[in-house]
Order: sequence, then structure tokens, then C-alpha cells
Amino acid sequence: MSVLARSVGNAFRNKVRTAAVVAVLAVAIGLALAMLVANQAVGAKVQELNASVGTVLTVNPAGGQGFEGGGEPLTAGQAATAAAVPNVSAVVGTSTLRLRNAAAAAAQTAQAGQTGQPGPGGQTGQAGPGGQAAPTLTTSLTAAVDAGTLGNRNQQANGTTGSTGTTQQPVRSLPITATGIGAEVDNTGKALNITQGSGLGDYSAASTGALLGTTLAEKNNLTIGSTFTINDQTYTVSGLFDAGTAFGNNAVYVTLPTAQTLAGTPGELSSMIVTVNSMDNVAATKAALQSALGTDKADVTQGQNLQTAVSSLDSVKNISFIAFIAALGTAGLIILLIMVMLVRERRREIGVLKAIGAPNRTIGLQFVLEALVLAALGSAVGAAIASFASGGIASALISSNTTTTTTTGRGFPGGAGGGGGFPGGQGGPFGGASQLLSSVTASASPGVIAGGIAAVFGVAIIGALVPALLTARIRPIEVLRGE
Amino acid sequence: MIEVKNLVRTFKSGDRTIKPVNDVSFELEQGTLASIVGKSGSGKSTLLSLLGALDKPTGGDVVVDGVSLASLPDSKLTEYRRRDIGFVFQQFNLIPNLSAVDNVMLPMEFAGLRKADRLQRARDLLEQVQLDPSKHERRINRLSGGEQQRVAIARALANEPKLILADEPTGNLDEQTGDHIIELLSSLSRNHNTTILVVTHDRVLANKTDRRFRLQQGKLTEEPVRGRAVAATA
Repeated sequence: MSVLARSVGNAFRNKVRTAAVVAVLAVAIGLALAMLVANQAVGAKVQELNASVGTVLTVNPAGGQGFEGGGEPLTAGQAATAAAVPNVSAVVGTSTLRLRNAAAAAAQTAQAGQTGQPGPGGQTGQAGPGGQAAPTLTTSLTAAVDAGTLGNRNQQANGTTGSTGTTQQPVRSLPITATGIGAEVDNTGKALNITQGSGLGDYSAASTGALLGTTLAEKNNLTIGSTFTINDQTYTVSGLFDAGTAFGNNAVYVTLPTAQTLAGTPGELSSMIVTVNSMDNVAATKAALQSALGTDKADVTQGQNLQTAVSSLDSVKNISFIAFIAALGTAGLIILLIMVMLVRERRREIGVLKAIGAPNRTIGLQFVLEALVLAALGSAVGAAIASFASGGIASALISSNTTTTTTTGRGFPGGAGGGGGFPGGQGGPFGGASQLLSSVTASASPGVIAGGIAAVFGVAIIGALVPALLTARIRPIEVLRGE
Repeated sequence: MIEVKNLVRTFKSGDRTIKPVNDVSFELEQGTLASIVGKSGSGKSTLLSLLGALDKPTGGDVVVDGVSLASLPDSKLTEYRRRDIGFVFQQFNLIPNLSAVDNVMLPMEFAGLRKADRLQRARDLLEQVQLDPSKHERRINRLSGGEQQRVAIARALANEPKLILADEPTGNLDEQTGDHIIELLSSLSRNHNTTILVVTHDRVLANKTDRRFRLQQGKLTEEPVRGRAVAATA
């Protein structure tokens, strides 16, 4: 029988005690692994956020009130000014349009004429970056998002459904957001996730190509190469993108010059997305940009809610790491105490082994291996616990740390009018923080679990070394003299 | 050849100093079967512990084949116990959760023998001590006292030691089993040229040894065994 076999056998000498020890160890190890999984998941999310939008500043016209307008539009000249600010690596202009289904718009206009109610109404659900009143254009597209109860209630509250009480009102239709972009990014500066087809090529030139959100294309039975109209002009679907949310996918992207031509506002911009060369320079660049553009002309924002969200995630990451270390330490302490107890209990046996010529290292190794057997059993059960509990623990940690930080961004909250708010919860700096946080998925990947178990084994070895060294101090005559 | 030179072991008990072994000297030729008799508490087990390097003497020395134990570090003393000494304890001191064969294999494992070799040798030894083969794989706590003593003797023989130190090997056994153990030790001494030193209260056993010593108040004297003269070296 080898040392290993003897250690395994010893670990099961007292089955009830072994079960109890393994249960306690499993809880500690499970908690440690769950915390490690949460830590890794949150860390990855923070990295992703920092990589995608962490260095992006958004410039809007000063005093902008979403689609309600307000303020003076931004210009190409201001874009050039922004580009000249130190540490600015890129400036992308956007021009936002609001598209309404031609048939629905005609019916609603006719109804408004009959009832004397002003159109178009139903806009309070829109919250977005546009600092100016976005031009409303007609399209052959039908919105992929139904107005629903909230949309229709809002329409009524705004008086757009008429007040005759007897007249059948037209079905409420939500608008579609069309954005002209100067590069292949969404209106938060994040690279578009094109799932089918291709991009628009040269985004600085007018073209008849367009990128459609997947749900919008599906709603209108459009595929790559299909056509649709905006203000009676025909556009071809070049690609489909997935923004990750239903609202985000109820959108169209065209090149910036195309949007400006459609809106009849050449040279004007709804907003600018400014990318700073590093996270360290964001604050200084924001101040410099604000100064260069003038506080009465433009508002420069960093997506404060996102910053707070990232900060909250950092806090969750720290808490989970500390909890991981604490749980790991607890597991080590449990092993230490158990092994000390076992060494004391088996003093006589250790004395006998020494009397028949067992070297100290063999006896020490036997106890270390016995501790590792217990740790392995605890890790197996603990890993199962972690795989079930890590998601819940991560969610609990995140929710308890972010309840005060998930306020919406600029513009109208959009909850009452149709939910989501522009740009439809794409996760931009204007209102998607809570979605970002909730999108942290803590899945127990084999790599993380393996790393965690390696740490547990490391701690188990350390925990077992002390009692193993104690065995070296036992003199056989002391325990055998008791005969 | 074992030479014991002026061996002294003292203990402190409050203000008193006890000398269970007091200036003990004797020599044993290889292959001798010797016994130490004496009253309880006379220091017999202490002397055995000193000879087996389980304890360190306060004075004097034990020299085994020319090597002084007093000069050896702990690691070498462990090696000495593993290679040259076989212990048979009164309480057997077997590992209770291991089988008979596993217990016998332990010293061989510490000596680095291959598993197949030590398994074969353990089975041979258990057969030599006449343990029923059906009990070789049985756990120690499911064997009788006599069977456990046989396993303990087999374990003591595992690494073919030069010296077997047996503390009351028949103390816990019935007369018939005790007789068998005595025969076994005698045949080991004769057939394997193993030196065997037995601490015993058993007159029958003591009378069957080649040499007999009496330990009284720490002093060792040799007594004549029936039909044999006292060795000159005692």
C-alpha cells in the first residue's frame, strides 16, 4: 500500500467525520469558487466597458431636449475644432432622423385634421442625443416595436388620439430612428455588430446603402439586397446589425451625408462622438473639449452613469475578490484545524510508524495527501455548489452595489412613452447602465473553476504543512512509553 | 555484534532522579536469543528502547557492528531502526485500519522495496508465522490477540533485521499461543542468525533463551540458563 493509498484510506477512516468535514469544506470552497467566478465575470465586463465606451465623450448641442429640440445644431466646423483638441483620436459626427411609416403617418395626419388635434404626438418616449428637433421623414418601413399599452396610453395623454370619443383612432405607430454616421459605429461610438452583409463602405459619402437592425429587417421581411424607401427615395439593405436589444434593432444607419441630405441640413450634426486616446486623458480632454466648443454651444458628456456603473462593478470586483480570499482562508483554516486534530489523535500511530523506520517526510507527506483528499472532495462538491450559486451570488452582489447608481442619462427617461428611450437600450452612455450591469453573466467556466481549485489545493497544502511538521516533533518513545 | 557500554538513562520525577538503567554493559553475539527478566518498573522496556534507538541514553553507548548509536543523527537513527531493528511490542502496535499484509509491508515500503516484492515477502512472512492465508487481507481489528502478535512478529522480520527487540511478546497471549511464539522466535534465531532480545516475565520463555539477564534497580546481571554457563562477556 503506497503513501497515497494509505492517505486515501485514512481520509475515510471515520466516514461520519469525513462527511462533516467535506460538507463544511464544500461550503467554504463553493463560496470561494463562486466569488472567483463573480470576480472574473465582473472583471471581464469592466474590461469590456472600458474598451468599448470608456474613452468616448459625446457632444450634443447645448440645451438639447432630445427629439423636442432646443439649442443650435452642431456643425462640421465644430467637429474640426473638436478633432484639434489634444488627445482626441477620432471625431464621428451623427445626424439623427425620425422615420414614420408613410401609411400610418398619412392616416394620423388625416385624423388630426378631422379632430383638430395637433400631431404627431407620442414622442415622450423618445430620449436621445439629438439636441435639435429631429426631422420626421416618411418611410416604407414599419417599426419593429409595437406601441403597446404604454405607447397608446402616452399617445392619449398627449391628446394625439383625439377627443371625440366616437371616432375610431388609427393604430399607434412608433417611429424608427435613422442615424447618419461618419464611421461604422453606433451612436454611442461602439463598433456596429454587423451580422449579415457588409458595412456602408465610405461613410463620408452619400450612398443609397443602409444598415438595418435585425428585428426591423425581420418585421419588414427585408434581407441583404432588399430595398425600402425614405421620403420616396429607394435605399438598399447593405447589412444587418445586432445591437443586442429590441429597441436598438429598431433602427437604420445610413452615411452621414445621406442623412444630412435627407434632413435638408447639410453640414449640421445632431451629435459628435469623440474618442480620447486613453482612459487617463478622458477627464482632461472633456474639460478641454468643453472649453474649445463653448458651454453655450455644446454639452460634453462622458456618460456619468456608465462611469458610476463601472465604478460599482469595480467595487463588486473588489468585494468578490476579498470574499474569495476570505473563503479560501477559511477553507485553509478548516483544513489546518482538522489536520492538527488528526495528528493529535494519531500520535501513537505516528510513533509506531517512526519506530519501524518511517522517515519524517513520509509521515508528513501522508498527512498532506490526506488533507488534499479532503480538499479534493470538498472541491468537487464546492464546484457543484459554485456552478449553481455563482450566478445568483454575482447578481446579488451587483444589485446590492448598484441600486443607487443606475439612474438614467440625459434626455427623457422614456419609460412612460414606449420604454427604453433612445437609442433603445443599446448600452450607450445615455441610459443603459442598469442593462449593462444586469448583462454580467457569471458562468462557472472550467478554467476559472480549475484556477480556483488550484488555489484551494495550494491553501490545503499550506494548511496541512503545519500539522505535518508537527509530526516530525513527535518522538516515538514518548507515545510508546504509555504502554 | 551488539556492545552495550556503561549505558545510563535517568529521568527526573519532581526532585528525585530515577535511574532505570544504571551503568549497564553487555555484549551479544549475532544469532543469540537472550532474555531480560525483572520486576515491573525495573527498567526493562527502557533498556529495550535505548537498544532500539527509540530513546537516547543519558550516558554510555550502544555499538552495533562497530557503529556507535550516540554519534548518529536522528535521520541515521531512523535508518538504523528501519534496516537493523525489528520491534515486537507488547500491545502489538499495528495500524488498525490496515490489513495484516499491509502492516507487514509498511517497513518494506519505508525501505524502498518494489510493491510486488514487498507483497510477496509479506505473504511469505505471514505464512512463516503461521497466520491463516484467509486472514492475510483481514483488518487488524478483526484478528485475535495471538494472530495480531504473529502479524507483529512478521512485521518485525520484514526488513531482515540484525536485531529483534521483543517486549513481553507472550504477555497478552494464552499458553498455547505463547508457546508457539516462543518456538517461532527460537527458530528465527537459529535459522536466520537473528539476534533476539526478549523482555519477559515468562519463565518458560526465559529458560528457552541462550542467555538470560536480570535487571534490578537499573543494574543488569546475567543469570545462568539451565544447562548453560554464564557468558564471560556479561
